[in-house]
Amino acid sequence: MKTLRKSLNKKLLLSIVLLCVIISTVSCVIGFLQYSNTIRKLYNNNGYTLGHLILEQIDGDRIAGYTQTWTTDTYYNEMEDYLKEVEEASGAAYIYIVVPCRNGKMRYIYDSSGMNIGDYDPISSYYEDVCKVYETGEKPEGYFVRQSEKYGYLTSSIMAVKDNNGNIAALLFVDIHMEVIVSTLVSYVLRAALICSGLLVLFCVFYWFLLKRILLKPIAIIRQNAYDFANNDAQLTDTLEQIQTGDELQELAQSVLTMENVIIQYIAHVQRVTAEKERIGAELDIATHIQSSMLPCIFPAFPDRKEFDIYASMNPAKEVGGDFYDFFMVDDRHLAIVMADVSGKGVPAALFMVIGKTLIKDHTQPGVSLGTVFFDVNNLLCASNSEGMFITAFEGVLDLVTGEFCYVNAGHELPFLYREGRFQAYKIKPGFVLAGMEDIRYSEGVLTLEPGDKIFQYTDGVTEATNAHNELYGMERLDAVLNGNSKRLPDEIIDAVKEDIDSFVGDAPQFDDITMLCLEYKVRMEAN
Amino acid sequence: MIITKKKDGTSLTLVLEGRLDTMTAPRLESDLRSSIDGIEKLVLDFASLEYISSAGLRILLSTQKIMNKQGSMVIRNVNEDVMDIFDITGFADILTIE
Repeated sequence: MKTLRKSLNKKLLLSIVLLCVIISTVSCVIGFLQYSNTIRKLYNNNGYTLGHLILEQIDGDRIAGYTQTWTTDTYYNEMEDYLKEVEEASGAAYIYIVVPCRNGKMRYIYDSSGMNIGDYDPISSYYEDVCKVYETGEKPEGYFVRQSEKYGYLTSSIMAVKDNNGNIAALLFVDIHMEVIVSTLVSYVLRAALICSGLLVLFCVFYWFLLKRILLKPIAIIRQNAYDFANNDAQLTDTLEQIQTGDELQELAQSVLTMENVIIQYIAHVQRVTAEKERIGAELDIATHIQSSMLPCIFPAFPDRKEFDIYASMNPAKEVGGDFYDFFMVDDRHLAIVMADVSGKGVPAALFMVIGKTLIKDHTQPGVSLGTVFFDVNNLLCASNSEGMFITAFEGVLDLVTGEFCYVNAGHELPFLYREGRFQAYKIKPGFVLAGMEDIRYSEGVLTLEPGDKIFQYTDGVTEATNAHNELYGMERLDAVLNGNSKRLPDEIIDAVKEDIDSFVGDAPQFDDITMLCLEYKVRMEAN
Repeated sequence: MIITKKKDGTSLTLVLEGRLDTMTAPRLESDLRSSIDGIEKLVLDFASLEYISSAGLRILLSTQKIMNKQGSMVIRNVNEDVMDIFDITGFADILTIE
């Protein structure tokens, strides 16, 4: 975070300095060009002023004559003296009178620096422009600025020398030294650069503080605020309120503040929901305990009864299940067993199961036929069944003295009966499920158990346990495992079936409650 | 499970394919609840139904109760496995199965 901020600072500072350097360089260069141009023009004009004075003094006709004769005379000597005088007095570099020739050279009539009349010298530069003046006699536009080791830094003023008829006879050159320009320009550039860099430093400092105030400081506040918020368990700080810039940054700060408030609300909401979920989870946990403790779960259940042995188990698919089993003594010689399955799963099924289980146990009374029990229970369940649920149930009552086993079936699975050394599904006429429709008649059946016989009852969670290939466990596998363990005790038989189901299902999830009950009738009870 | 609906005036035919169990039953229930209003003849085609669980039976029962009031409900082409379940649970006695 720290490095990032510094780099933003650096970038801004660097770009400001760069911009200022570019602006001042450009302005220096433009100023330099403008200035040097003005200076040249001034010097050049001085040359023309001098030239005009000279032209008034010298005789054009005589000059025209020299272009024919190329010899000196008395007038020439007078002129020479005069021109030298002028040159010395005016400070002009060179004054000379020439005739440009076609071969790129010029022929001297007069020269102040050593050339004699009639001498040739090449025109080093501006040949075309020189010729143009010679032809038209007009003042040229350029300043003929040139620099050479021999003559130095010069500007030339070129004027036509005309005879009395107005014909151009020769050209008068007045060269002016411009060495002074160089020194003036250097001092100008130095001064300009100094002023520029002074201004630049001032501007940089000023702009830097401005940027810091209006840009970097608010950004730093927002950054710090967001950093604190993220690393401080979403605690809100009031630093964002300081940003009152009235621009986009204030808007950004407001947005960040709004976002943080939304996050806080969201966190509170999630915490509430999580707490609620945990509470429901805890309650479901308690419900699981209550439900499992409603089913008789202490084995051996009747340690002082030698006439029978009973064992049962339930494994709910969810926290609470809809399956239930029950067994209880109706009176001293009658044992009732119940196996039931509420349609659906979870809390609704569990609640309905509690009603069903209680009603069945309450209505199973000595001397009351099981058909009547289910008729009454069914009507009571129908009256309190707004959700369209139903219960498949099987109930049997064993007379421990006679071995007579009365049963009633409300749409439940067929029980397995162990008789004559073999488990077999016992075909009984099904009745309609409990709580489905009012006033259903249930018929009671009777069979007789001999000592050593067993009854195995279960719910559809057993036969419909499904493996990863969507195959059902089924009656045949149940039949096989029961008969493979038929000689064993009830609890061992149930454990064997459970193990067999587990190995069949493998890793596939359990969809339905798995509930089983096994009763062995061991010896007859002696009648009092 | 795939549910195909065909409505013809006041008669409605639902073709069910696959398994009608705890996972799929709520869909059939909401489908029926939204379209059963004003239907006088409801036909459920079970030709491609592989399996029905108690959750499915519960919907058949509640739908049968509704149709008892406003018309009739018929279940067609029930296969052997599903018929076994209807027999065991006694549903065979209260449903009209063709």
